[in-house]
Amino acid sequence: MSETHQDSGGGNGDFDLTQFYQIFFEEAGENLDLMEQMLLNLNLETADDEVLNGIFRCAHSVKGGAATFGFADVAELTHQMESLLDRLRRHELQPNSAMVDVLLESADASRSLLARHQAGGEGDALPTGDLVRRISELAAGNAPVVAPIPVTQPVRTQTVAVKPPPPASEPVNKSPRSLEIRIGPLERPEQADAVQELFRDIPGLGTISALPSDAKNTRVFMVETGSTDEDLLDLFAFHVSRDYIKISERADAASDSGNAAQAGTAIAEAGSPDDPPPGAPLAPLPGFGFFDGAPGAPVAVAENAPGEIKVAQKAPPRSPAASAAAQPEAATIRVAISKVDQLINLVGELVITQAMLAQNSRALDPAVYQQLLSGLADLDRNTRDLQESVMSIRMIPMSIVFSRFPRMLRDLASKLGKKVDFVTQGEATELDKGLVEKITDPLTHLVRNSCDHGVESPAERLAAGKSETGTITLSASHQGGSIVIEVRDDGKGMSRQKILSKARERGLDVSDQMSDADVWQLIFAPGFSTADVVTDVSGRGVGMDVVKRNIAALNGTVEIDSAEGYGMKVSVRLPLTLAIMDGMSVGVGGEVYILPLSSVVESFQVKADAVSTVGQGSQLVKVRDEYMPVIELEKIFQIPRFDFEKSCDIMVVVEADGSRVALLVDELLGQQQVVVKNLESNYRKVPNVSGATILGDGKVALILDTGALVRRSRH
Amino acid sequence: MGVMEKLDELTSSDAREYLTFRLDQEEYGIDILKVQEIRGYEPPTRVANAPNFIKGVVNLRGTIVPIVDMRLKFSCSKAEYNSFTVVIILNLRNRIVGIVVDSVSDVMELPAESLKSAPDIDSVIDSAAVLGLGSLGDRMLILLDIERLMSAPDMGLVGTSD
Repeated sequence: MSETHQDSGGGNGDFDLTQFYQIFFEEAGENLDLMEQMLLNLNLETADDEVLNGIFRCAHSVKGGAATFGFADVAELTHQMESLLDRLRRHELQPNSAMVDVLLESADASRSLLARHQAGGEGDALPTGDLVRRISELAAGNAPVVAPIPVTQPVRTQTVAVKPPPPASEPVNKSPRSLEIRIGPLERPEQADAVQELFRDIPGLGTISALPSDAKNTRVFMVETGSTDEDLLDLFAFHVSRDYIKISERADAASDSGNAAQAGTAIAEAGSPDDPPPGAPLAPLPGFGFFDGAPGAPVAVAENAPGEIKVAQKAPPRSPAASAAAQPEAATIRVAISKVDQLINLVGELVITQAMLAQNSRALDPAVYQQLLSGLADLDRNTRDLQESVMSIRMIPMSIVFSRFPRMLRDLASKLGKKVDFVTQGEATELDKGLVEKITDPLTHLVRNSCDHGVESPAERLAAGKSETGTITLSASHQGGSIVIEVRDDGKGMSRQKILSKARERGLDVSDQMSDADVWQLIFAPGFSTADVVTDVSGRGVGMDVVKRNIAALNGTVEIDSAEGYGMKVSVRLPLTLAIMDGMSVGVGGEVYILPLSSVVESFQVKADAVSTVGQGSQLVKVRDEYMPVIELEKIFQIPRFDFEKSCDIMVVVEADGSRVALLVDELLGQQQVVVKNLESNYRKVPNVSGATILGDGKVALILDTGALVRRSRH
Repeated sequence: MGVMEKLDELTSSDAREYLTFRLDQEEYGIDILKVQEIRGYEPPTRVANAPNFIKGVVNLRGTIVPIVDMRLKFSCSKAEYNSFTVVIILNLRNRIVGIVVDSVSDVMELPAESLKSAPDIDSVIDSAAVLGLGSLGDRMLILLDIERLMSAPDMGLVGTSD
């Protein structure tokens, strides 16, 4: 994209930039994310040149784009970051954590500024003056001050105010000047008020405030700006004739260090140039897809509405070694989610029709209907491909969710004075977009919990004989027909005694004989907290119940495993809704059931003597030195049997939750892809059944819930 | 635009249209606005552990729809499935359910004043689900609040909220 920026920068003045705003915002978001990731991974002692260069390039790209599009505040801030990073990569400075902190904060500030521009410039801009000052102090740091590197990218002068940063030989123009501007005498002094709007509308122009005027028909303003008198006069000429304007220097003109110049916008608009607002770190990471339009521009490229998804063909993450020119092709298109859903439904129907055709054509004589059959085979393949592609539109990798946690944990850990390593596994696991959105909040809560309650302070950890740094692991994986997301920590775990005594205090009905699993479930009770101290992070007892409720709403379950002193594991199990699943159809007494193929391990014909019973009830079958419980589908589903000749003699071994059971069925009918339909939308939950599907002949078949079957065999 | 005029008439007066159907010897009426369509009976897929009057689920153009046999629910003496057996597909608060009846008789308009409240009698039908009785000459029409009837817990159509 940087090419595009340059092209447009060099293009003729009428060139419409607005169509590129959206792309710029997306790309800047990606660059800032990438920079943040690299900053977090940066090893301060042995800083890698490639990483430093990579970070530099990110800042540079954002700056270039921002300057081209006239977002002076962002350009200025990123310019400062770039200066600091440039010195780092030239090894003129040694990176330290203060720098990383300020760079991270600046990245947040840039995001927030960009979000503001994207929203059309509404609201107050985040003050960046303090950040700019801190960066320049660090950049000046312990080495002789070198002249700020001139901007390498040609900057388009879109508005009068956004000048290309002048060469260092003209420092006068760069420093903010405090001016008194007297406009008048005018017949209609209101005209002069429009000048104030100029300062609001044009980023980087500076600040203006009205001063009391001595005459009725004149207006006096105090202005702080980096622009020249000539520029200001040109600008004001839109509203007031030049002849009525008098510009004079104010006596108490503050001349700051040259670099802080263009950040003038922000300094005055909000008083406290402190940390970015608390919301900033959690700002939506991918691409700021939530705002419309571009600053001052007519409605931008894509129209936005709530409930839209960003269909992104994610370019593979760039390796830091890639050259700056190798920008990822951000080939994205925004489509209303309802359109995607409609497409998915249609393809679902198509699959059913295709299956029906395939079934009906089986009886045909291949010699006579050769062409028809080969056409049907093509149709089969194409439908399958089509289906996969359509489904993949809605699937996004878990890394989208996971990527927000390193930053959050870093901030949280330093706030709590803890040392935490964050490990993620299975980031490539794909999950439906709708689920990803809904799982983010509960996961955030669980991770915060782990950091706050789980991981101990370094001193406590050393005393307990653990390493000083705790580890929080976030992993995602597909297991059978569901996705399992685990949050693990090696902290202090939960105390059974403490939970039980708390529960008694609250008047819950508990006993010491309860199993661990039941005890852990107690923490899901509303208002239940075992935290000794209520912190602003957690401990108020609202949370776990909300987590459980949210996950239950997605038809998911939460399980806890914990050992006091060793840590805790929370597993969130979610069904893959909307899934088209590979299924294996089995016949039992004239009825057809579907098993998720992913959970089928093997099947075999069983001899009557291979099954032994325990206590005259449960049956076990021996499969290669392993005894497995046998589940007779015929009994569980009370399947009526009319044909007594036939009997169940095929075992299908299924695995779920780490254990295996053997299902006894009549026959194996085949494998096919099935569209999972919800049984509960018009009916209710049926035990041991996870859903239903429509077979090729139009009949409904139930899909077995192997997880429930396995759990059933345990009790 | 005869239809529109008729609709206007309907909304202006208190009269409502009812779809009437027969179960054994009895005649029932339900609000026609709740009826989505009427279909022939096709054997549904049995669902395990369901009450006997829930025959199973069928595929209604891609939607899985449970089928309730009202004759079994109301303990009729016989429930045969032949070519005349019909299924009324109801749309109740975005849930779709099919009911099996012996036959559909008519669509008729009943003014509100011709409805009589049902006396308290002991029956398999929850009296709260009976809107009233309508008389059509010498025939008695039992008007059902089908939505209430179908969402009652003993129908087993709606899952318990666990």
